[in-house]
Amino acid sequence: MQILTQLVFSGIALGMIYAVIAFGYQLTFATSDTLNFGQGDALMLGAMVGLSLVGLGVNYWLMIPIVCVFGALQGAFVERIGVRPAIKIKSEFGWIMSTIALGIIFKNVAENLWGRDDLKFPSPLPEAPLHFLGANVLPMEILVIVGAVGMMLAVEFFNRKTIYGKAVVATFNDRDAAKLMGINTGLVITFSYALSSMSAAFAGVLIAPLTLTGATMGAVLGLKAFAVAIIGGLTSGMGIILGGIILGVAETTTGFYLSTGYKDVPGLVLLLIVLAVKPAGLFGKSAIKKV
Amino acid sequence: MKFAAKTLSLSLSTLALACSASLAHAEDIKIGVSGPFTGGSSSMGVSMRDGVRLATAEINKAGGVLGKQIVLVERDDEAKNERGVQIAQELINKEKVAATVGYINTGVALASQRFYQEAKIPVMNNVATGSAITHQFDNQPENYIFRNAAHDSIQAPMIVEEAITRRGYKKVAILADSTNYGQLGRADLVKALELKGVKAVAEEKFNIKDVDMTPQLLKAKEAGAEAILTYAIGPELAQIANGMTKLGWKVPMIGSWTLSMANFIDNAGPGGEGARMPQTFIQEPTTPKRQSFIINYLKTFNPKNARIDSPVSAAQGYDSVYLLAAAIKQAGSTDGPKIKAALEDLKTPVEGVVTTYTKPFTKADHDAITANIPVFGEVKGQRVVYAYEADFKKASEVRVKDVNAKGALVIKK
Repeated sequence: MQILTQLVFSGIALGMIYAVIAFGYQLTFATSDTLNFGQGDALMLGAMVGLSLVGLGVNYWLMIPIVCVFGALQGAFVERIGVRPAIKIKSEFGWIMSTIALGIIFKNVAENLWGRDDLKFPSPLPEAPLHFLGANVLPMEILVIVGAVGMMLAVEFFNRKTIYGKAVVATFNDRDAAKLMGINTGLVITFSYALSSMSAAFAGVLIAPLTLTGATMGAVLGLKAFAVAIIGGLTSGMGIILGGIILGVAETTTGFYLSTGYKDVPGLVLLLIVLAVKPAGLFGKSAIKKV
Repeated sequence: MKFAAKTLSLSLSTLALACSASLAHAEDIKIGVSGPFTGGSSSMGVSMRDGVRLATAEINKAGGVLGKQIVLVERDDEAKNERGVQIAQELINKEKVAATVGYINTGVALASQRFYQEAKIPVMNNVATGSAITHQFDNQPENYIFRNAAHDSIQAPMIVEEAITRRGYKKVAILADSTNYGQLGRADLVKALELKGVKAVAEEKFNIKDVDMTPQLLKAKEAGAEAILTYAIGPELAQIANGMTKLGWKVPMIGSWTLSMANFIDNAGPGGEGARMPQTFIQEPTTPKRQSFIINYLKTFNPKNARIDSPVSAAQGYDSVYLLAAAIKQAGSTDGPKIKAALEDLKTPVEGVVTTYTKPFTKADHDAITANIPVFGEVKGQRVVYAYEADFKKASEVRVKDVNAKGALVIKK
């Protein structure tokens, strides 16, 4: 029983790492129907910038807002350079290639600036584990969980309660109608990319003390987060959290009860099942496209 | 004094730079250097390269070999097999090197060295440990592949000897990564354990870049493991140490020499203390040769905290150049087959950092390091030190190659 508790806790902590990254995918999808495939690299840039700031002697908590501003600028840049031209010519797939390309460019830049070695991100919280229901949890893992839930609440609140959020929802529902209603949809989309990369940069500094920091850290994590976004549903904040928990717990329990060689399999099988049975995700609203 | 040291280091590094530039004269001796200078294994690659540069600068300063200067042609293989192959072809066909030193990654070495074999150009593997490397061309009459690193069939039995015999653990778990390095090492560990009549209580795998080691560690813990034997590289080894801290379960880590990598020690922090691994060289001035090597290395490359990132790679890199230089001198030529013949029958001993090489190679045996040479290192205070006081005290007696040394796994062909 104790083992299971530990596996579930570790799975939840792992899943929340994926979830905080997955929010970024959702934010851009919610406005423009596009995804930033460079999300993993935005995460890495955030973590690296954060690490440099901490290295300069900036306090961890003070560093977070600076990294968020950096992330927002980086996201706006991606949208202007890579996504807007594709949306303008109504290209279905142009943004896929351009966001991937920008991601690779960011990774190469980071490799040259910071090297390709994995570095340690100093933990702002004590590294000694806490005991909870017979299982061990790191304080940093709890911070990641709080961060993930906090982001979910912020996004849901923003979309449902604020006028700007309504503009975002309107843009998603019908871009042309929203435009006619006087919403600057271009700006809304730029804003959503900025927000998305900001959340990725924030996620980067949040998880870096747990994962090691390096130019290649985004690749695997970005992919896992994408799976979480698909499983949970690209339109539901709640779905991301639950998708993360499902994937994380699936990984740790399979690793223990089946074989560590197969631990990535169940999560991806689940992804295939979800895509086949409920393409909008477990918690996503399936939109009917009228042609 | 400080100024003098600085100018010396400057002049040495410019020398090294000049060496790598393509200003080479026709009568220079070109030696290729292939290793990962970026990426996860770069701490080994860069230390190796710096050791090579240091030895080359010293040899050139003393007049070079056969009256010619050695010029290094350095290439970053990024630990990728396909890059290694491209580089091998470039070094052979375009740069026309007399020999090549390097290779950190077993996979890259195995993929690349057949081009040297075909071109009859010697390769001195100075870091890669895969047992198969020097036996890849056993079926051919001539073998151009040499090595001065401790191969896995030495390391695995050493790890097992340390865990089972010396420290008396009855239950051990094996944790290895899913790469060639990890899985071949895991197989060697299983074989070595079998010879002691022990079976690992758990054998677990993980991927490069995995961030959570909970299931692997819990399995080992549940199976009652008293020690963890590892075969992996720095970052993931650090995640194992961090995972143990998290689970509040601390058993000794004993593993292949990669536990001495700077990115393990730095990323694992206090969790990495006490890890033990076989080492051919530990950064301690135990002989005059080692002392001057360490002083010159620190002066020239000025690594962080006066700690060589990978002392083993640096020392073996340094020695590999001296071995080649001695062979070229004896051969009186830069002709591949002649260098190879000289390497197989070195008349004068070569005093290196790791050991003094007296007849390091024969026609049938292309491995310079035997099971009696490596000692156990331990991570202590963020550096690698001698694990046993007795080894440290006797370190000034250089351990030389002993072809009858017991403890290596017999390689089946």
